[in-house]
Amino acid sequence: MTRILLSDKLDNCVARWRKAGLTVIGPVKKETFSSYAVVEKAAEFDLGLVLPDRSIKGLFFPQTEPMLEYTIKKQAIDTKDFAPPSDKRIIFGARPCDASGLAIDDPLFGWDYKDEYWFQRRNETVIVSIACTRADDFCMCTSLKLAPDSTKGSDVLLRPLQNNKGWLVQELTDRGREAFSQIADLLQEGSEPAAPTVVVAEKFNLDACVAWLQNPANFDSSFWKEISMRCIGCASCTFLCPTCHCFDFQDEGDTYSGIRRKNWDSCSFALFTMHTSGHNPRATQSARWRQRIMHKFNYFPGKFSVNSCSGCGRCSRQCPVDMGITETLQAISTLKP
Amino acid sequence: MTIQEQYKTRVRELLSSGTVKMVIGYKAGTTADRRRPLFIRTPEEADQLLLDSACIANLSGYLIAEGLLSDEKRVGIFLKPDGIRTINILAAEAQLNIEQIIVLGFDITGQEVTALQGETAGDFSALIESIKEGAPEALKNPLIDQLEQLNPKERFAYWQAEFSRCIKCYACRQACPMCYCRRCIVDCNQPQWVNTSSHTLGNFEWNIVRAFHLSGRCVGCGNCDRACPVNIPLRLINARMAQEVLGSFDHLAGMSDTQEPVLASFKKDDSETFIL
Repeated sequence: MTRILLSDKLDNCVARWRKAGLTVIGPVKKETFSSYAVVEKAAEFDLGLVLPDRSIKGLFFPQTEPMLEYTIKKQAIDTKDFAPPSDKRIIFGARPCDASGLAIDDPLFGWDYKDEYWFQRRNETVIVSIACTRADDFCMCTSLKLAPDSTKGSDVLLRPLQNNKGWLVQELTDRGREAFSQIADLLQEGSEPAAPTVVVAEKFNLDACVAWLQNPANFDSSFWKEISMRCIGCASCTFLCPTCHCFDFQDEGDTYSGIRRKNWDSCSFALFTMHTSGHNPRATQSARWRQRIMHKFNYFPGKFSVNSCSGCGRCSRQCPVDMGITETLQAISTLKP
Repeated sequence: MTIQEQYKTRVRELLSSGTVKMVIGYKAGTTADRRRPLFIRTPEEADQLLLDSACIANLSGYLIAEGLLSDEKRVGIFLKPDGIRTINILAAEAQLNIEQIIVLGFDITGQEVTALQGETAGDFSALIESIKEGAPEALKNPLIDQLEQLNPKERFAYWQAEFSRCIKCYACRQACPMCYCRRCIVDCNQPQWVNTSSHTLGNFEWNIVRAFHLSGRCVGCGNCDRACPVNIPLRLINARMAQEVLGSFDHLAGMSDTQEPVLASFKKDDSETFIL
């Protein structure tokens, strides 16, 4: 016997969590665009999406965030830190690839300096993922050795019932158990079978790719220029990516008062590595695309023993010129290491 | 022979005769409805060429990739009329030598692709100039009309909501063949002229700066609109500015490679007493 959450109880759950002071967030589609957004009622969820256009990342690492405010007076300088705002949240209906992305970034945000903004949000957020029963041509979690029902990064994993009337509940963490204890009476025991998770075909051989990337001789391969020739150098792939985490500090204001902000930044931009001298060590788009691939599948795993990709496929799905990690790694897997 | 096969033959001829060093065209993409840019350097590579009604991207931005035309060799490129207008503007703005460009012209009506006869941009001048007549009609858009009905406050709210999704990925800029500045104003950080943060003010600053820089230059190819990963209807802004420029200055961008840039030129008999 397993516990089951029935779809028609979901609205009660949302109300219960909201009453308990949780901000409830989930996949929402508005006209032509979908993202994880705050809801008041379960009817606002769009749980049928393969995955939202925007990844979950921005809820933990916003595209722009104030860090400190300064005012220079005659005799003094006043500074004010922006503490990460406390906001207890539950994200219902996350995709396992998005949840995995957060777990992939945890060591990055904690290895030398513990990023309190990231970890406060991580600690205050319960992630309830739903295993995928649908995928599209761009999904590639299995190629990254993850799965449509991966539990990585989730506090609770729900598996859709075959009869489509609800989900089997698998609590994974204390945080998840606590959130679900608040709705315990809305759950029921049952033995209905779960719907099969979607079969996502493996698109490339990851080990072969990693071996090729780790060979220093391939750093200067002509492959990089060929594969990235049509890259237009926007940051659509990096900003939609659930694991890309680079940021920049910007001071806005003037000499006497202003605000320091932490903004998303992207290795796709020439400015990302531009030196004050005018020299740019990554002078070409191919060098920038190589960096993105090397970082995800060579440098990052070298440091944190995990690839910086959860296989959501957004980089390819939304690329203006139909490029992306899938095509690049597919091509690499055919090369000799 | 289908148009696609005709053009494959033509591309092979252009390359094997040494007329061009490269042809920029389209090939199949990840899904059935997607097309990718294709760079053809040998006659054999032309086998991958695809030409159908899904080939809507304006490829002309690739022509001004650093160094591509600096050897003065010719490059072939598949262009619809909006693409031909684009290279006219790029030539008028001294970004490329139009003599170096061999145009493989085509047009799309519904699902149908037709070949356009000609080889250089100038060969299409009659067709291009005829676009101006129909422009007032072609630039019409029911959503623009709806927005015009709103008062400024409501219109501001509409764009504020649209721009709130902007993540400053600059896909609009990078996809746009008119955005060729070696260093974009937002990348100038000493001083930082435009807020790079994607908050309300920063998003407005960026999108309004871009709209003004494209006024009288945008051909409405839709590259920005399609590239936007958060689906901001950028095309509306540019089309509205094109209407304004057409009405005020009788100017439609890209009519010829010698057309004066409307917002970067003046006449002694201009009614204004100032230059912006």
